[in-house]
Amino acid sequence: MSAHPTLASVIRSEWIKFRSVRSSILGVAITFVLTIGIGAIITASIRTHWTSHPEAHIGFDPVTTSLGGTLFAQFAVGVIGALIVTSEYSTGSIRATLAATPRRVEVALAKLAVLVVSLVLVSEAAVLITFLMGQAIYSGVVPTASLSNSSVLRAVLFGGLYLTLLGVVGMALGWLLRQSAACISVFTSLILVLPIVTFLLPSSWQNAISRFEPSTLGQSMESVSPPAHAFSAGTALLVLSLYAVVLMVAAVTVLTRRDA
Amino acid sequence: MIAIEHLTKRYRKTVAVDDLDLVIQPGVVTGFLGPNGSGKSTTMRVIMGLDRPTRGRATVNGRTYHDLRDPLREVGALLEAKAINPGRSARNHLRALAASNKIPFSRVDEVLEFVGLTSVATKRVGTFSLGMGQRLGIAAALLGDPGILLFDEPVNGLDPEGIRWIRDLFRSLALEGRTVFVSSHLMSEMAVTADQIIVIGKGHLITQGSVGDLTAAAKGSVVVRGNDRERLERVLSAGGATVEVANDDALRVGGLTAEAVGQLAFDHGVVLFELTPERASLEEVYMALTSGSVEYGSGAS
Repeated sequence: MSAHPTLASVIRSEWIKFRSVRSSILGVAITFVLTIGIGAIITASIRTHWTSHPEAHIGFDPVTTSLGGTLFAQFAVGVIGALIVTSEYSTGSIRATLAATPRRVEVALAKLAVLVVSLVLVSEAAVLITFLMGQAIYSGVVPTASLSNSSVLRAVLFGGLYLTLLGVVGMALGWLLRQSAACISVFTSLILVLPIVTFLLPSSWQNAISRFEPSTLGQSMESVSPPAHAFSAGTALLVLSLYAVVLMVAAVTVLTRRDA
Repeated sequence: MIAIEHLTKRYRKTVAVDDLDLVIQPGVVTGFLGPNGSGKSTTMRVIMGLDRPTRGRATVNGRTYHDLRDPLREVGALLEAKAINPGRSARNHLRALAASNKIPFSRVDEVLEFVGLTSVATKRVGTFSLGMGQRLGIAAALLGDPGILLFDEPVNGLDPEGIRWIRDLFRSLALEGRTVFVSSHLMSEMAVTADQIIVIGKGHLITQGSVGDLTAAAKGSVVVRGNDRERLERVLSAGGATVEVANDDALRVGGLTAEAVGQLAFDHGVVLFELTPERASLEEVYMALTSGSVEYGSGAS
């Protein structure tokens, strides 16, 4: 029997771990509920106030608004990614994991594969459902968008990729920081605090810097036409992917160098 | 076989293990003894490839852990009790480990049965007692049917029945020709469990040998009681012995054999009522050996 642990068997191991704890199941459920639930609240509220607020009609984007729940779900995916790693450090099971698979790069890649596949499926399903639901809520009163329009389809699908990539950022922070609380603080700072800090800068600086912030990249990715001073959707996806890759490379470097 | 060659491990400024050389042979239970903080766990973590040595190396079956093709099939370890996600069931914990090394799931149920956890296999590990957690850790160590087994303080948290069970387990694993390496800070435990003993302190090797060798090497003492304690004390001291007063008018004599003590007493006309050679217990040998290397001594000892 060939018993050499291949990446496939390590991925299988990580998949068993991922689906066998409540926190993953709960995290996935929360991602779903936040994306769709908040989307329903936002779209229903816009429909209610549509006729009484004509000033809101200018530049109205039925796609971005229906995907508003991702602003909340992004924290859930960050936590899912971080917990896959930090739960191993907090319980000490990382030693059993690394004893079973001493080639640590494979452990990192297997965890990444499990996370990315799970999040792509969950996030894409969530954004598609919330988009369709939002358009159904708008229909008859508010202008709607259709997936048959390629820019609309792109904005919706990129919404799922935005969530997935933020999950990867959370996982990389998990390897780098090893502690859940530290990861959540740093992650929240990147998403929420960074825009506030840039907002205090002179406007020319703001325009130059804010386009690089994860939240602005998300806005570009999830809208049909990007906001002012922001990157195009494609560039935004590339930049965010680059962040995820750089952080994962740093994570793997730290993992292979440090004592477990 | 486990071989440790010139192993040094430094954490920032603390030297946990200092130029340690050891060979741990198959077919016997090897006890790894030392006070807390003496470097036992560090040595085991280096063997398992978890910590990187500062200098030197540790090999299992001639290869470093990192180079093992199927680690769980060659080395099984219990390093920490209950170092398992509390939300996962015992079976899923073992299945995840089995999957990574392509060990069939039927083996998971076998080892659960073997350690007596079959009835709680689907229960969350968080609900387990410390003893059950130890048994699950042992099940994980046995999962790949490895030829080398490491146990770091395995009796912690076990009840007397569990301690007996684990001693018998070590014995039978060694009889099957496996390498069994067990750490403990309790000599009394190792005296009844191990065949070979390695004692370390402050990261240095203090001594190693069979249980018999170690007690034999220890200097015994002679308890002697006679009709004139003062004179007996004087002549024994003059004869080069160390003498201390034990209870009940008896003297404890070091550095002389029982024969020599009897002869001296006879030569000086002391009538003896008692002449008892005493061999130091393994516990006393251990205390004497490690007294200089206890990291956080109580001061009184």
